[in-house]
Amino acid sequence: MKKIIISVLLLLVVVVAHGQGKFYTKSGKISFYSSAPLEDIEAHNKTATSVIDTETGRMEFAVLMKAFQFRKALMEQHFNERFVESHKYPKATFTGNITNTSDVDFTKDGTYQVNVKGNLTIHGVTKAIEAPGTITVKNGVISGTSSFMVAPEDYDIVIPAVVRNNIAKQVKVTIDMVYEPLRS
Amino acid sequence: MKKILLTIALIGILVAGVVGYLLYNKPHRDIGKASSDFVVDASTLFREFEEDEAAANTKYLDKVIKVRGNVKSAHTDAEGNMMLTLEAGDEMFGVTCTIPEKNLANAATIREGQHLTVKGVCTGKLMDVVLIRCVPED
Repeated sequence: MKKIIISVLLLLVVVVAHGQGKFYTKSGKISFYSSAPLEDIEAHNKTATSVIDTETGRMEFAVLMKAFQFRKALMEQHFNERFVESHKYPKATFTGNITNTSDVDFTKDGTYQVNVKGNLTIHGVTKAIEAPGTITVKNGVISGTSSFMVAPEDYDIVIPAVVRNNIAKQVKVTIDMVYEPLRS
Repeated sequence: MKKILLTIALIGILVAGVVGYLLYNKPHRDIGKASSDFVVDASTLFREFEEDEAAANTKYLDKVIKVRGNVKSAHTDAEGNMMLTLEAGDEMFGVTCTIPEKNLANAATIREGQHLTVKGVCTGKLMDVVLIRCVPED
């Protein structure tokens, strides 16, 4: 009898330890890089938010467009005023799922290749996207990285002919998140 | 006559070139010297965004604001930039200010719990209200 109780308790402990639930960050890094014949443009944002549910594999990201910082003030101004119209659409968001959550053991140190599928909203336009990513668990700390291409055109971002050669048709987006447990 | 026209045209091209170059390289706003559009407590700012985000966006986005509050947390990243969060009366979230390394010259004294005024550009609210290009004030 005692053995059974201990077994049940042990099982419970394992289940609880495994079902860790949600992790979040509010200092996630999202950058983008555009390489075009006339110039290379990059912008960095260090205040992206993200929540990951380790049980379901659900992931959410949000970023403030105005918090992207460019080297040149004029680029930042054009980006906000003409291209993404950040006064009208202040945020970009992504909600989706890891399609191979079962491949990831969030309780065990290691590097796991994942595939994430969901909806990306930029400039008020939502598109389904899919991107590969890497989840790293080190000393219990979960981090996630990914990089994928986004075409401004897909999000109704109109690049005027005069700067066509300054902005790439495909912009590379890089994501770098370090999560902490969400205590609620 | 032709020569004069040609000279004027050349000068015109030169001026356009210089203006274009200066515009292309125009510097970012110097937040330290910029006058602030609003002076507000971190809790008031946070509450305004919680209650009516659209109205708060219209009021604060892209504006230079001075925010007062107690330092909830302060971390420095690998490049020496600081990510500082001010208490805003919410258990989990607050007002986050990113302070570039160059604006931290006199900020060695920033510590948790300290009352501080930070000037920066408001970019909106996700979990926290976010200010960028911040300068801590005495």
